[in-house]
Amino acid sequence: MGPPMTLRHLGGEMPGWSDATPAGGPAFRCLLEALLPLVPAGARVLVAGPHDPELVAALPAEADVTCLVRGEEDADALAGSGATVLCGSLAKLNDEFDVILALDGVSRLCTVEGPQYDWAESLQALRRALRPGGALLLTVENELGVHKLVDRTTVTSAHTDADWRPVGEYDTTPGNPARLRDRLTADGLTVTWLGTAWPLPSAPTFVADEPTLRHGASGALAAAASGAAGAAYAGRRVLSDPRRLAAAAIRGGLGPELAPAWIVLAFKGTATPVALPPAVLGAGPMPELPPGRLLEELLIGACLRHDLPAARRLLTGWVAEQPAATADNVLVDGETLSVLDRARPAVETPVAIRRFAAMLLAGGYEHPWPAARDAGSLTAVLLAAAGLDAGPVPVDHDPPPVPDSLREHEERVRRLEEQLADSAARIRHAESELVKRDGELRRARLQIDMFSGKVGYRLGRLGARAARKAVRLMKDR
Amino acid sequence: MHHANHFYGHAHVLAAYCGLDPEDPPRINGYLQHGWNVVDGLGAGTPYVSGRPIYVWSEQTRRRAWSMGRRYATTVGAPFLYLLSMAEPGDGTSREGTIWYPFHGWEGQHIAGDHQRLIDEILETEDGPVTFCLYWHEYRDDRTRRRYEEAGRVICHGYRGLRWRDTDTRFLHHQLTELRRHRRVASNRLSSAVLYGAAVGCEPAVYGDPMQLAGEVRTIADRIRRTWPELHGAHPDPVAAQESARAELGADVLASPAELREILGWARP
Repeated sequence: MGPPMTLRHLGGEMPGWSDATPAGGPAFRCLLEALLPLVPAGARVLVAGPHDPELVAALPAEADVTCLVRGEEDADALAGSGATVLCGSLAKLNDEFDVILALDGVSRLCTVEGPQYDWAESLQALRRALRPGGALLLTVENELGVHKLVDRTTVTSAHTDADWRPVGEYDTTPGNPARLRDRLTADGLTVTWLGTAWPLPSAPTFVADEPTLRHGASGALAAAASGAAGAAYAGRRVLSDPRRLAAAAIRGGLGPELAPAWIVLAFKGTATPVALPPAVLGAGPMPELPPGRLLEELLIGACLRHDLPAARRLLTGWVAEQPAATADNVLVDGETLSVLDRARPAVETPVAIRRFAAMLLAGGYEHPWPAARDAGSLTAVLLAAAGLDAGPVPVDHDPPPVPDSLREHEERVRRLEEQLADSAARIRHAESELVKRDGELRRARLQIDMFSGKVGYRLGRLGARAARKAVRLMKDR
Repeated sequence: MHHANHFYGHAHVLAAYCGLDPEDPPRINGYLQHGWNVVDGLGAGTPYVSGRPIYVWSEQTRRRAWSMGRRYATTVGAPFLYLLSMAEPGDGTSREGTIWYPFHGWEGQHIAGDHQRLIDEILETEDGPVTFCLYWHEYRDDRTRRRYEEAGRVICHGYRGLRWRDTDTRFLHHQLTELRRHRRVASNRLSSAVLYGAAVGCEPAVYGDPMQLAGEVRTIADRIRRTWPELHGAHPDPVAAQESARAELGADVLASPAELREILGWARP
């Protein structure tokens, strides 16, 4: 007998095909580790859809793992992983499992061949593949998630070869956590946990379960989501800044509704109790959340309100308590300022303040010092308001890339137009002042000449001019 | 720099506060509010150049300026308060009587009203000696000055200056000294002087014929009375009045010398 067959073609598979950006990342991995009690030795696990091979490798070696992918290239890549690989369409799957992982969602389980299951039909197919009591860990993308709201491209326009059916919000996907629960329950599934995933469905770096997001320390949770969005969208072109949108949604109590994706743990029939962390940040459970609100947001608020005493208090508190942290990494709780993420690199205080100034200007935020129109001038004012000695304005040699937002571009164009018009007005004013001053200067010079005994000379010149004029007149006659 | 920045020696006071030469204040990067007003902080007829900051006294004035299309109003507080922060504290013991500022128009304006009737009302209301502080052009007008001299002591804080010339750069210093000598400060119109007085501990009052400017409409004066009732009347509650006055002067928003240098464009020539 040869080696065991690890790759089986189901039919409907796509030759020469590979799915881009499979589900992956440390937060998913952390969730999987928490679910290991559900995967005893010999348990049959189906990994449905494109998943990062690292996630597959994180499953226990004693488990009987099967991967379902639609592209032959992906199937070949997985063939040596120790898992059984099924290549083809979900419609061809005819097997049962103890655990199904569908962290990529269900939109990439069917192929170009055969039926094109919508979301509800895909869910039913997965449910059929579950043994009674089996567990499903499923990611459901939110069509109104922050990631979609800031997307510059239209979801329902086809952009890549994978978009042969770009249905977007016209699918049957439930639109909020409550409806998702209802839908799963109606299909005979028992939902025991619902998490919200940020900032991108395929690679979340921040996951918080629904009760935590609704009732937890909203300032810190908003800060975590905002930080996660900032990292994921660094330098990426967006409609508007996802950091603000994510934070505003969570603070406003709309976090679960506007999360880019939901992750549900559901059982077919009776549920097995398993403990999942209330929140995951990066690769591990989120530490105890300090109360308070992000310094950056408080400072923006003080600037928008033109509340100078508050802005100065925040600035002086910042440089006194957390001088090495940037404003987007400090939580303020009354007089206590704590660092949110200690893993972020320390920066010099003036540079941290310059980054805040640059953000304020780039974001088009109204602030109390409208004459400071560039990052250097605004930094100088903020440093002084923070009570730091005026030195040379610091240079930020290594500014971190930030989301590249269309809305902020529009604001910048508007501001530049205004500044250009102002400059033109100022030049006109300066020129008219110049004419006035020239007049004053001429009169002053004349007076100086008069009083310095040059009157005779002047009169002489005037006389000569008059004589020349008389001669000319005579000639003209 | 607009020449009004030098009025009353405002620029000079700010230069001193910022640790610069008060005799030769550097150019200010915009327009300094030179008197309390209910518009955008600029004096009437100031040829404002868009894009230049207007340095206003209070956040309330900044909001008003914004609503009038002035996008570059920056709140700094009144120069008088900066002077006060530098001045020796007053001893507060020898306060007596009332310093009374009869409303004046500026040089080009003419007021319609009866000085004598106003003087009678003042003497009826005030129970101590009254010092009349006249604006320079009324002070120089012998007829007006003599009429007030018959009723009390008459002073003038100095000439505010015009186009950078002849400015009495100690104007506010004289005013501070005089205000601290009096228990009350009063005028027939709410004005900078009444607010300054309240800020240095005088009991403020605003009463008497408001003496309309020729062609002036009554509605503005009425609006001022409705908006700041706590500062009006012969004997308003001094605590509420002083609090209101300090807010109008921007007592809570004063900048540090370093911050003010940056804001006025004095830090990095």
